Amino acid sequence: MAPESSAALAAPARGFDAFRPLAGLLIAVLAALVALPFFWLCWYALTDAKGAFTTANFIALATDPTMTKPFVLALAMAACVSALSCAIAAPLAWLVARTDMPGRGAVRALVMASYVTPPFLGAVAWEFLAAPNSGLINQAWRWAFDLDPFDALVDIYTFEGLVFVIACYTFPYVFTLVATALDRVPTDLEEASAILGARGARTLSRVTMPLVLPALLAGALIAFLQALTMFGSPAILAMPAGFHVITTKIWSLFQYPPRLGLAAAASFPLLIITILLLRGQAWLLGRGNYAVVGGKSGRARPTKLGAWRWPAAGFAGIVLGLTVALPYLALLKTALTSEVAGPLTLDSLTLHNFHFVLFELSSTRLALRNTFLLGFGAATIGVVIALAAAWLVARGKSRLTGALGFLAMAPVAIPGVVLGVALFLSYSRPPLQLYGTLWILLIAFLTIEMPAGYQQFASALRGLHPELEEASRILGASRLTVLRQITAPLLRANIVAAWCFIFIGAIRELSATILLTTSNTKLVSVIIYDLNESGDLGAISVLGILLLVITFAVVAVANRLPVLGGPPQARG
Amino acid sequence: MSFVEIAGLTKRYGALTVVDNVSLSIEKGSLICLLGPSGCGKTTTLRLVAGFAEPDQGEIRVGGRAISTPKSSLPPERRGMSMIFQNYALWPHMSVFENVAYGLRLRKIPADDLNKRVGAILDATKLSALARRHPGELSGGQQQRVALARALVVEPEILLLDEPLSNLDANLREEMRFEIRRLHDQFRFTSLYVTHDQTEAMTAADVVVVMNQGRVEQTASPSEIYRRPATGFVARFLGGTNLFEGARSGADAVDCGEGLVLRCAGGAYAAAGPTSVSIRPHDIKLSEAATGESVNSARGTVARQTYLGSHRDYLIELAGGRQVRVVAPTEIDIAAGRGVWLYLPPAACWALER
Repeated sequence: MAPESSAALAAPARGFDAFRPLAGLLIAVLAALVALPFFWLCWYALTDAKGAFTTANFIALATDPTMTKPFVLALAMAACVSALSCAIAAPLAWLVARTDMPGRGAVRALVMASYVTPPFLGAVAWEFLAAPNSGLINQAWRWAFDLDPFDALVDIYTFEGLVFVIACYTFPYVFTLVATALDRVPTDLEEASAILGARGARTLSRVTMPLVLPALLAGALIAFLQALTMFGSPAILAMPAGFHVITTKIWSLFQYPPRLGLAAAASFPLLIITILLLRGQAWLLGRGNYAVVGGKSGRARPTKLGAWRWPAAGFAGIVLGLTVALPYLALLKTALTSEVAGPLTLDSLTLHNFHFVLFELSSTRLALRNTFLLGFGAATIGVVIALAAAWLVARGKSRLTGALGFLAMAPVAIPGVVLGVALFLSYSRPPLQLYGTLWILLIAFLTIEMPAGYQQFASALRGLHPELEEASRILGASRLTVLRQITAPLLRANIVAAWCFIFIGAIRELSATILLTTSNTKLVSVIIYDLNESGDLGAISVLGILLLVITFAVVAVANRLPVLGGPPQARG
Repeated sequence: MSFVEIAGLTKRYGALTVVDNVSLSIEKGSLICLLGPSGCGKTTTLRLVAGFAEPDQGEIRVGGRAISTPKSSLPPERRGMSMIFQNYALWPHMSVFENVAYGLRLRKIPADDLNKRVGAILDATKLSALARRHPGELSGGQQQRVALARALVVEPEILLLDEPLSNLDANLREEMRFEIRRLHDQFRFTSLYVTHDQTEAMTAADVVVVMNQGRVEQTASPSEIYRRPATGFVARFLGGTNLFEGARSGADAVDCGEGLVLRCAGGAYAAAGPTSVSIRPHDIKLSEAATGESVNSARGTVARQTYLGSHRDYLIELAGGRQVRVVAPTEIDIAAGRGVWLYLPPAACWALER
């Protein structure tokens, strides 16, 4: 550029600024996702077959013992799960975060692995292990002590069994919250106590525990909520045991003869409990005293366990053995043998199950195709909507953007089964007859996963200085160009994380799916559930293993894709 | 009519008026500085010019065309401006070259022309060797130069600078002050520069606009602002001063009470009533002997004396409790508690309307 070039370059030519129409569209889409199902839920709960106002559904809900009993059982079950999760997770989190127990890193990684396992797959695996007759543990027990064919050590088809299996897949929530809180307890607080003469145990009980108590309670609430709203595990274990929890009860109201009004009414207590629990959790984590756990005083000094190192490792080993190793091994063994109960020898090894699932079972390929189509679709569309919504809220100035944030976060309070009911009621009737298509499932997954994606981007955008975007605009980029060329590439890591999160969430979803799927729109999760009903355990194992392998593969690939400029290069 | 005309610009956030009836004109090719303490509205004024905020009243015209009024505002990307940000705002996912080329790519400049333009500006800002690096690998001063190059390469109609040097350490800041002035002399972009640092403003600007509480206090050349401040605020903010409050007495004198009458070389006398006199600390003469003058002279006591190497900083207490700061050569060494005479030369006394 020569100094004498006096004529300024013209500003970039005016392109069509699609910002406003897109913002409007986004608000309309999110409002439809949330408001429409809620409207029909209320409508069905409060009207009779002729459309007249009635409270009969709510009266039946409160008085009919076949309705009240599942509620009581579900609450009791959730409370037990919550307590058991805390009993497992709190000591484990302390051992991993604050002691010199061997293998701490591996424990953290494996707990995360059990996080990724779909809960219904865990329930199926525990059927293989602990069904009263065919269960591998019971067979080993009988073989070891030479007992009668009907003696059983453990029975998974019981209330206790259900609590145990669900706790296996809820304890990671508690573990993560407590371990993170323990990581952040400032060392000087503990050292101050030690200098004043308190011994290790006293410091732990009087200083450390009170500081992480809010995190533990918040974890307990999440475990409670997860257990209460879970459909897969209770459907697999409680119904054979002869009892219903509220989610399976709502599902049964969809079986013939359908009682949709009652199902809609039964959704409301779940909705209200969920909202209350989430408020409680937000309050616990948002209180002032928890903020102390945020001080930065260097790496924590690990407690020396001394002679207790190996017993502690043994405890961690047992927990992971029960939640990860045993179920995975049971799935693998069942996949590779023709008879579930048979011994695993070189002779009995077979790929028959794989052959059957991949080439003979007619529904598999359709289900795999549907599952991945929906997983990719929900993850991709979900990331776009969540990012756009979070960006509008973070950078927008109008009153409407506030409503957008609320709409994006609202589904967090809707349990999967309630959403299933609401979407069924909304889209199985004119004007939008989507029931029986993949669209209704796409809507369900988008709605369920929207809050997680939105939250991810909202917090990421808070850390992104607006000047980076303004620098692009003043040079001539429209708002959408800025979003595409500056904001999105800078949030690449968050985009990949949110995409994987939604993808995994979508392919493991069963609570809403089970109410919205038809024979043409089967998903792998539903096939696993169906096969369990028909007792085809080898095929389940193969599908379960496929689901897990593909999940890990997709996550691994997603982290390496050269989209948005590829992984951040190492910089000197 | 000037190239940029800002008239009656007002911006409110709720009940707070951040920019209050600001009017400015900027000649084409000149560099104008908005100077003031933090919260004085200078950055908001800049953002109004950039288009990142819309005014509640008033308008901004560039080259005779209204680009911003309360009714309609051209978005930032349509204004043909460039901006240099306080935190540089370089994009960490792009190399130095890509950062600089970004604005040209938006303008769809053909590749060979683009390479030539980016190469030229990287040369001018001494960045050619760093073109492949990413911003995270650069020092603060280098990042600042990339920000300059990125803003200059698009040949903006108006260049906006928002506290561009405040994140640099003292030595680098001094170097960059002159660098910015050098680049301005080379390219002559019409520039609007926001700073709270008077030295920056004095070095860089053709015209300084001093702002306080959302209002313009004075618009003038750097020397004019310093020698002929329009208000007490301007006098205090630029270089520090002593203000004596009093009332006009006669044609060119102000009676400040306690027997102190100051004849002034010039300034804005009030037609009647309250007037202040400003005099810089280094313009006051200090001696232990009586000055023999009846006006522009006062007697006081040394309250505090500080040795600062190149000079001594005195705090003198006059009869009646008035305190005066005086900067004197190191040879004049008078201990605290001693009586002294002050002489305030009429040529250095500047009357201000209060």
